[in-house]
Amino acid sequence: MRHLEAEVVVVGGGSTGVGVARDAAMRGFRTILLERADLGQGTTSRFHGLLHSGGRYVVSDLGSATECAQENAILRRIQPHAIEDTGGFFVVTPDDDPAFADDFLAGAAKTGVPATEIPVAEALRRERLLNPGIKRVIEVADGSVDGWALVWSAARSAQSHGAQVLTYHRATGIQVRDGRVVGISAHDVKNDEQVLIDCSFILNCAGPWAGQVAALAGCHDVNVIPGAGIMIAMNHRLVNTVINRCVYPTDGDILVPVHTVSIIGTTDVKADDPDKLTIPRDQVQQMMDAGSVLIPTFREHRAVHAWAGARPLIKDDRVSSSDTRHMSRGMAVLDHDTRDGIKGMLTIGGGKLTTYRLMAEHIVDAMCEQLGQTRECTTATEPVPGEADGKLYHVTHRLHEREKNRLDEQTICECELLARSQLVSAMKEQPLGTMDDWRRQTRLGMGPCQGGFCSTRAAGIAVAEEVVDHERATGLLRLFLANRWIGLWPILANDQVRQVALDHWMLDGTMSVGHLPALETEIKQ
Amino acid sequence: MPTLRERLNNELDRVTLDHCVKCTLCEQNCPVAPVTDLFSGPKFVGPQGERFRNEFSVDHSIDYCSSCSTCTVVCPQGVNVAEINSIGRALMREETGIPLRDRLIVNTTMMGRMMTPVAPVANAVLNNKLARVAMEKVIGVHRAAAMPTARSQSFRSWWRKHTPAKPATRGPVVFFHGCAGGYFEVETAKQTVEVLEYIGYEVLVPKQSCCGLAAQSNGLFDQASASVRSLVDQLRSAGEDLLIISSAGSCGGMLRHEARKILGIDDPELADVGLRMRDISEFLMDLHMAGELPTDFAEIAMRVPYHQPCQVRSQGMGMPAADLMRLIPGLEVVESFATCCGIAGTYGLKKEKYEIGQLVGKDLFEMVEATNQGYAACDTETCRWQIEKSTKVTTVHPIFFIHKAYGLAR
Amino acid sequence: MRIIVIGMGPAGLSAALRAVEAGHDVRLISKGEGGFQLSQGTLDVLASLDGHQIDQPLVAIASLGPEHPYAGIGADRVREAVNWAAERIGPELLVGSAEHNLVLPTAVGAMRPTAFAQPSMVAAAATREYAVVGVRQLKDMPAELMAGNLGAESAWIDLPARAGEQDPTSLTYARALEDPEFADRFADAVAKAAPPGEVILLPGVLGTRPGTWRRIRDRIGREIAEVPLVPPSVPGIRLHDAMVAAIRAAHVKVVIGSRVVGFEADGDRLSGVRVGIAGRTRTFGADAVIHAPGGFSSGALDVDSYGRITERVFGLPLTADDATGLITPSWFDPQPLFEVGVRADVHGRAVNADNEPVFRNLYVAGDIIAGAQRWIEKSGEGTAIATALRAADGLAEGA
Repeated sequence: MRHLEAEVVVVGGGSTGVGVARDAAMRGFRTILLERADLGQGTTSRFHGLLHSGGRYVVSDLGSATECAQENAILRRIQPHAIEDTGGFFVVTPDDDPAFADDFLAGAAKTGVPATEIPVAEALRRERLLNPGIKRVIEVADGSVDGWALVWSAARSAQSHGAQVLTYHRATGIQVRDGRVVGISAHDVKNDEQVLIDCSFILNCAGPWAGQVAALAGCHDVNVIPGAGIMIAMNHRLVNTVINRCVYPTDGDILVPVHTVSIIGTTDVKADDPDKLTIPRDQVQQMMDAGSVLIPTFREHRAVHAWAGARPLIKDDRVSSSDTRHMSRGMAVLDHDTRDGIKGMLTIGGGKLTTYRLMAEHIVDAMCEQLGQTRECTTATEPVPGEADGKLYHVTHRLHEREKNRLDEQTICECELLARSQLVSAMKEQPLGTMDDWRRQTRLGMGPCQGGFCSTRAAGIAVAEEVVDHERATGLLRLFLANRWIGLWPILANDQVRQVALDHWMLDGTMSVGHLPALETEIKQ
Repeated sequence: MPTLRERLNNELDRVTLDHCVKCTLCEQNCPVAPVTDLFSGPKFVGPQGERFRNEFSVDHSIDYCSSCSTCTVVCPQGVNVAEINSIGRALMREETGIPLRDRLIVNTTMMGRMMTPVAPVANAVLNNKLARVAMEKVIGVHRAAAMPTARSQSFRSWWRKHTPAKPATRGPVVFFHGCAGGYFEVETAKQTVEVLEYIGYEVLVPKQSCCGLAAQSNGLFDQASASVRSLVDQLRSAGEDLLIISSAGSCGGMLRHEARKILGIDDPELADVGLRMRDISEFLMDLHMAGELPTDFAEIAMRVPYHQPCQVRSQGMGMPAADLMRLIPGLEVVESFATCCGIAGTYGLKKEKYEIGQLVGKDLFEMVEATNQGYAACDTETCRWQIEKSTKVTTVHPIFFIHKAYGLAR
Repeated sequence: MRIIVIGMGPAGLSAALRAVEAGHDVRLISKGEGGFQLSQGTLDVLASLDGHQIDQPLVAIASLGPEHPYAGIGADRVREAVNWAAERIGPELLVGSAEHNLVLPTAVGAMRPTAFAQPSMVAAAATREYAVVGVRQLKDMPAELMAGNLGAESAWIDLPARAGEQDPTSLTYARALEDPEFADRFADAVAKAAPPGEVILLPGVLGTRPGTWRRIRDRIGREIAEVPLVPPSVPGIRLHDAMVAAIRAAHVKVVIGSRVVGFEADGDRLSGVRVGIAGRTRTFGADAVIHAPGGFSSGALDVDSYGRITERVFGLPLTADDATGLITPSWFDPQPLFEVGVRADVHGRAVNADNEPVFRNLYVAGDIIAGAQRWIEKSGEGTAIATALRAADGLAEGA
């Protein structure tokens, strides 16, 4: 058993938790962050990658619109490497009411969201696959954001201010004495060790899992309704600009170019368990139809991978719980002192990635208020480490880098142009990680072949670099293939069928991965 | 001004990158990647790199692609690898600028027109070592690179005085000789006309300028597009619905598919010309398959190495020239099965690429040297110059043998 | 007869060669290059059934169900077919038999049975005492992982095939090893680095030509075995080159780079195929067509975004036309989708659900035929060659 001490323990390593840990650490709190798996493995990475301009909310939610516009500008300053300045279009498709665009422009003016109507012909010239039947186009300042890059760079910022970030540490109990939080226990999953942390404050940022964490302190009925949605990554950037459908927020209303892919999203269906999200066939078809409205040839293009994520919405009695979209997407803070008579714990729900920094500021403000302290938030002005050049990410970066040193260093994942040294440093940073953990940092296996060529290379490198032994590497390889398949089989069509056939031919046929000795117990994520 | 990418209409070529399953067949067959590490290979710069390109171009090794199109030909999945690469290279060159040399060497018609009246002088200059060293230094054309031989009579001046040996018994066809056929490879053009007339066709020869292929492969897309469009008008002016017979292997391909696939020209006029265009060997073999080709060939007892140029192979019609030559009794045709001779239009002329071109063609040259009995055959002018220069073996268009076997040679 | 063969993988090449040997006028049309270069470079006949590895493929063929591609061909004709192919490719490239499988190590250290393998590989079948030597510059043979799974020791050599290039393809090595001077340096480096073991396992890059590996073995002075890698598969390229050389020598007319986009028929007979060439679609006339375009990996069998499965050229009837439910949630489970395909009659002709030929002169061969997941049971080359010969030998049926 390991004994640690902190002032604040943040539970949850998604964008909210990491943002809160960074904020708290920057205000001088001794902070520990507990994450049950890898950073950004939950909701943070299971979204479509949009950095909101605010345009999405200029009609439906004016407060959110203004917040998004402001935070969008801040994140471009403090975490530029995680953000690509794609710009965005709100397009009125032939199926939509052109009058909504007037409401949109009026709302944008009111909320301070930059928005300009541009000629349809110009939009079609810039985005050649766009539906030529679109009737109006409004240009906004959308961007795309890499959720993992965002949380990892925020985590490094928190660490540089003294915070400890403990991944693969699952909170197992919260100690309360005399109506006050005094500690939290956790299970170090990788080392199979109990960890006890003395602390005076817990910030529950577990998103869809926040109800489970609150229950550890005996605070029951914290109803987080996971609003599940699926996203599908298309094999390349069908568009270089975020394409939003100019309608009241609905399913399948956005196509986002992120890194080398473009992501169509999303659906919204109440889920019972955020750990058991599925990618239902009817929702895949719904997304294909939605994509076809924006890009008429959408179904002929290649879907490369799909995933499901859960929005962490706190239940609001005003709407029926089966329709989560109309709950507030704003942040909700539950004060367990007033609610349950337990001091030193706040639970946070809701929010969106674009405003994660602002949410963190509000939460830490609320904590300071309870503690009777005044400490100023500086997260909006200080760039995270390594971002001093202020250079925004651009999709060409890796090609540019690889072009320079392609002869000097091996490209391990060719689809995503991942250099060996990048992979090795991710492995060394998380030696107990899985190949998916390394993937989230490096994009290993996230391109067209989905690990067909690179998975065995990566497993081999892990052994060669003495990160793992051959048995664990074999287990990790099997786990990686199994996990990639989760996002593949529901969307398998056209080119991706050919790819999967070749991948199986190589992996199962030529290399007989299926006949490798299996570990006694399969490695779990 | 819209960007080049916006001006082009190649989105449908670009999206074929989705078909890539990374099988490496394009890499396996690329003639350039094995001989130099300056080129990162067709997959790397093609379907792989294209996913990382936005309107910006950041990778410059793409310039070492020779545009031979082999990658597109061998791709079983239908990725237009070469087309993606050509567009990528044009975008890159648009940003980095195109050297004067590349602007000069693409002007084949102009060269021909200037050189024909002064052919002996021009040839003397091109064969003068000092002049070639100066040329290499000043404009970057390698001193040892193959250069065309100027002729004192252009095809047109021959054609003006020409009368068919016998009256036509079959309908008219349009003859497309290309600018090299007009000024440098005049014999090939003449032989083609005489063969067509011998088998009964009335031959029409409209005035014709450059197809723009060299400009295209050097990234001068606007110039190439203008060339194609004016040539299309010239060829169409000869008559509607007539077959257009080409003795210029690569230029025929430009009109048949490259102008559409690479330059993105979607004009119905171009499509019309592409539809009617036949390579001379393809045309004659089609006649043969239909039982309509006279086969009164005299024996030619000879072994001849034949090289099908990359830009003819990429037209996807098989190897009709080899099949055709095999109809001649006694003529043993040995196909090279080489991917490329290394010239690839203007690639092998360039100072910095000459050595690569020579390495690309090495196996072909050895094969030609080992198997020839005085002649080699090849469908495209620049490839003939390359082979002849590198092997010293007289290299002719396959029509040479047909012409001879019909007893038309004087 | 004028025969058109569609496809350039093991099935198309075998069908073309067999047909031209029978005196037909053969034209082979292929969108691109075929399957040998993506394969392990051996001839599989049958190596795994219900998760168990098998030793005697021909014996196991007898136990296969009636839906299997081998059904109706029978062990004797399969033996004859693969022996024919091995003979055409030649003993410099293939040794073994369909009677017993050779069990060879893979690049991740699994053991994999196959019927015929290259002479450069078979030393590994005689022992399980291996020494693994990887090449630093080659990323597709993970030496420690492979050795670990094989219970062997491993070592690396550091020897760029081209100076200054850390990331060459396997083919770059194979070409470089055709230079005797480099081959000797390579051999010396291996000899110096190799740990103990009866056979040194090396990446499958030992030369583009058949005999190059011998020089390396002799110089090392120990037994060696090549291990096939992912594409570009040098051993696979050797087999491809040998088959292509054979069809070229026999003057098969090859049209490559063009897709067959349709057909022309006269009642119940095909009269030709329509091919998309530069600028237009043209027809090549034919008295019979052998359709060997591959299966799902080549896209000859297509699944659209609605899950509809189609055969793209002739719209042939398939054993299933909806992929829904044919793809299962586990990567390690068989995927029934990949068993979908065309049914063939005893002469190799594509048939409909009533077992009647779709056209009297349309034959199918290779992966387009339903009934097997080749990569699981390791039967790709065997089913391709056996069905190709069935088709080529059955051409008279459709005359």
